[in-house]
Amino acid sequence: MNGTQMIEVANVSRWYGNIVAVNDVSFTVGPGVTGLLGPNGAGKSTILHMMSGFLKPSAGSITIGGEPVWRNHESLYKRAGLVPERESVFPFLTGYQFVLMNAQLHNLPDPVTAARRALNEVGMEYAEGRKIGGYSKGMRQRIKVASAIVHDPQVLFLDEPFNGTDPGQRLHMMDLLRRMAAAGRTIVFSSHILDEVERLADEVLVIVSGRLAASGDFRAIRHLMTDRPHAFTVASSDDRRLAQALVGSPTVLAVDLTDGRLSVRTSQFAEFIRVAPRIAKEEGITVRELIPTDESLESVFSYLVNR
Amino acid sequence: MNTTVFMLTLREFVGQKRSLVLLLLAIVPVFLALIYGLGDQVDQQDWTANFLMDGIVTTLVLPLSCLILGTAAIGSEIEDGTALYILAKPIKRAEIVLAKFAGAVLPVAAVLIPATVISGLIAISGTPENGIVVGFAVAVTLGVLAYTALFLLLSIMTTRALLIGLAYVFIWEGLLTSLFGGTAYLSVRQYCLGTADVISGARPRDFEADLGFEALFLGAAVVIIALLYATRRLETIELSQAE
Repeated sequence: MNGTQMIEVANVSRWYGNIVAVNDVSFTVGPGVTGLLGPNGAGKSTILHMMSGFLKPSAGSITIGGEPVWRNHESLYKRAGLVPERESVFPFLTGYQFVLMNAQLHNLPDPVTAARRALNEVGMEYAEGRKIGGYSKGMRQRIKVASAIVHDPQVLFLDEPFNGTDPGQRLHMMDLLRRMAAAGRTIVFSSHILDEVERLADEVLVIVSGRLAASGDFRAIRHLMTDRPHAFTVASSDDRRLAQALVGSPTVLAVDLTDGRLSVRTSQFAEFIRVAPRIAKEEGITVRELIPTDESLESVFSYLVNR
Repeated sequence: MNTTVFMLTLREFVGQKRSLVLLLLAIVPVFLALIYGLGDQVDQQDWTANFLMDGIVTTLVLPLSCLILGTAAIGSEIEDGTALYILAKPIKRAEIVLAKFAGAVLPVAAVLIPATVISGLIAISGTPENGIVVGFAVAVTLGVLAYTALFLLLSIMTTRALLIGLAYVFIWEGLLTSLFGGTAYLSVRQYCLGTADVISGARPRDFEADLGFEALFLGAAVVIIALLYATRRLETIELSQAE
């Protein structure tokens, strides 16, 4: 592992007045693709901006290759690239002019070739002569990525890079990031969409309410997420009798029949879905509805935090 | 100075409403001089120096022009997030500040200095110029540098740069400086008037400023201090976005 690409985040906090945006977060990121996963407002962007040198940690330290990122612009940006979430890009420049400008600002020996290569990487040569002001959201995302990789950085930060991209563009960008990771680059991207992280990231950092809720291999985290207690509401031809029958099943943790509504808690999501209709059938009860009630990403995250 | 940032700054201003306002402001003194030339011209030196050059050019047109472009050069990029594409580069912050400063100074100077000279020459035609036009041309040059540096710094320090700049021009320089003599040492307008007075050598009855030679040094000091401080602020600027 190349030490110049290691990102070390040590006991980092960031607060704005009385509001704590990031609370005592520590982790290490190496080459490969790492996903920062968390609901909106969790602190992902704050962490990403601190890692890319645009926010000063209120406490703790962040280093890349052993060098601090804060107030170390010249050294940091030779090695790192950043794709911000905000869409705004100079609308009066064409895609080519924008990427070329970025290459020139990096003082590359051959900015024209570098710009052409970056545009080719993101598949934007076809629109390079058009002004960015007329680009779609997905095209802007790709031109932003081209500008961030024009100097072939060792470390790349991307803040919600798939926002506004269509499935084809998403696949193309994921493929590009995978190739960069395979070439030994360190890629860190934020997302609030589980599926994006699952498809791309080797390692995952789950951020909830400014804290690191879980980290590591995606499969292990996925396992934690699916094995957590789930709640279902059930509507049937005889809720009371069904509640009695279900409570005997080892898949069920608790049943609750309040105001004529039957709620069931289980720790085995998939197994319960399979078993519950069978139990109902054995009892001669018709199940009209079986709906998971807490499947939002926020509820998954809050489980990870509180477990 | 970074030429890529300089050229980008110039391109940003092309076709913007701000540039149109700059042109309209520059036309004002020329238009007034033409109107004045049509009527009975009494005491041309006095009118040119005190009304046109002091009252219109130095008090209104100059600070407003610098405010409009000075606060936009980097302030609007910080506001809309595009500054990130410049700041996330291995470039010294001083180079960025200098390029942004030059990018704002050039269009303002290119429009205001000719407007000052042309309007002055029209207003004073037929009588001895007495160095008034030359004096104010130099004063406007100093003013463009000092005001732009000041407003550029302001735009890095706060998102309310335009509002604070207007308060400085109209309340501090327009009102307080005329009430309290000591505040002249903290007024770019007074530095400009002092410079015009020193350079022109105009008769006291035609034009007289509160400051003398020190105005030139104070103006230069504002430029240097503002740019140095802007660099320092840009080194520690925090750019984030709400999730």
